[in-house]
Amino acid sequence: MNRFDEVALNPQPLPPRVRVMVSHDVAFDLKKMQKVTASVLDRLGCAGCHSGHILDFLVIRDFVVNPKTLDVNEVMPGTGF
Amino acid sequence: MRGLGVGLVYWSALQPLFGSGDAEVLELEPQTLWTKSWTSSRPCYRLNEALFDSIAVLPQPKLIHGVGQPLGGSVDDPLEYAPLLRQMLDRLNPAWVSEHLSFNRTRRQSGVSECGFLLPPAQTPAAVRVAAENIARYGRALGRPVAFETGVNYFRSAPADLRDGKFFAEVAETADCGILLDLHNLWCNERNGRQSVQSALLQLPLDRVWEIHFAGGRSLDGYWLDAHSGEIPPAILDVAAEIIPRLKNVGALIFEILPEHLETIGLDGVQRQLEALRQLWSLRTNTEILVRCPAARSMKPSAADIAQVRAWEIALMNALEGAPGESFKSDPGIGIMRRLISDFRSASLTRGMRFTITALLAALGAEQTELLLSTYLRSTAPDSFVAVESLHFARFLSRRPELIASIPYLAEVLRFEKALLSATLYGSTTELHWSTDPTLLLAELEVGRLPRHLPNTPSRMTIAQ
Repeated sequence: MNRFDEVALNPQPLPPRVRVMVSHDVAFDLKKMQKVTASVLDRLGCAGCHSGHILDFLVIRDFVVNPKTLDVNEVMPGTGF
Repeated sequence: MRGLGVGLVYWSALQPLFGSGDAEVLELEPQTLWTKSWTSSRPCYRLNEALFDSIAVLPQPKLIHGVGQPLGGSVDDPLEYAPLLRQMLDRLNPAWVSEHLSFNRTRRQSGVSECGFLLPPAQTPAAVRVAAENIARYGRALGRPVAFETGVNYFRSAPADLRDGKFFAEVAETADCGILLDLHNLWCNERNGRQSVQSALLQLPLDRVWEIHFAGGRSLDGYWLDAHSGEIPPAILDVAAEIIPRLKNVGALIFEILPEHLETIGLDGVQRQLEALRQLWSLRTNTEILVRCPAARSMKPSAADIAQVRAWEIALMNALEGAPGESFKSDPGIGIMRRLISDFRSASLTRGMRFTITALLAALGAEQTELLLSTYLRSTAPDSFVAVESLHFARFLSRRPELIASIPYLAEVLRFEKALLSATLYGSTTELHWSTDPTLLLAELEVGRLPRHLPNTPSRMTIAQ
């Protein structure tokens, strides 16, 4: 794939910038990909003052796995979380 | 100078309250705008300049509150940080700079080890001298008045220790510096069996208090945690109302809440906290305050002082890592601190590798995923930067090809997140091959579901800096 044939998604609008490039003919939603990638890149720095309890993993664990049944949550389309 | 007013530690989610003027002061944790980078000849910190610009133009007076180079330890950050911090100070012109009276790294035979958390220092005369010298060096490097934050401590007091208030007082007097009085930290210490807030305040040199931090917390396993998770407890507001009229040089009252807890009280709730702080602010007896760089030279620590402080740091780190030893053996604070560090590091992985963690949870369940994370945490040294911790985990997973092959699409998701991390940290370029539409795959993971079969739509993607 030639670099000049690629579309740069520029998921991180603020420098330091990480670029994500795909060819023109990809079939997926470039804007959605940009949003998803930016959401990861936004959180890669120092985590801030941390003398308490940081809950991100516990929140995502209970989001994916029902803490009462320990079953993986099945989400019906449109119900959201 | 005139006192600055009431304000907030900055997070983008709180931006409306800076825009509306509800927050009169903006306190920035500078390291939250930094990434670590290995793109030049040696590792360095790099500032997200555009994000910094967007904060610098806000009209509020700024304060800087460091979270990365704490002042209570025996070893300084091995990465150069002062020039970057000075660059930020030159732009923001804060009246003073604060940092934690904690340690987050120490030197072992193998080199400098990160703790993965802010830990309390030994409370001995040697630790006073070490901290005072650190504060003096930090102030000289930055050319600004320095205040240290009165820290939280989940461990038991040892009989030979200086009491909390006495320790803070001796550090402040020896360093001739300011105090950032964190009332929630003192309240945590009291509730967890250490010195009472009132008793600690009686020992503090109150004219050195330049700033007060307020926050809410939560309980876990019998401990009250400095979680920055909600409203200020009324008991803390009562203590503040008593003490503020006696603080001649208090220049700012700052409310701290982590963005992930904002929905608990909402922006309305934060406004209510600011209103409570404004009422406290009106209790001051002085409007003009004195904030200054140290007049006196601090007492230099001896090699024996540094060795004593370091020995204590290593003993604490060993105890937290589960190494056998007598130190801290019967202290239940070790258990809670292990839990906090483990959850903090797991949270970092969740931030940096959200889709990989979701795929693991959906495929393996909670217990097996926690077991896997526990194996990783025991085998790998921590790093306070999300990208570094996450890349270490990506490499850990990459050494388990059978596990990766057993979970649908995990190989592709892991390669994608690892490529983002490598580009951020090393400037690496990675070419990825997707077997399916990545937006469909990631959208499923976003709602907590791991798809088994998605339409075959191959594509290539390049990730670079």
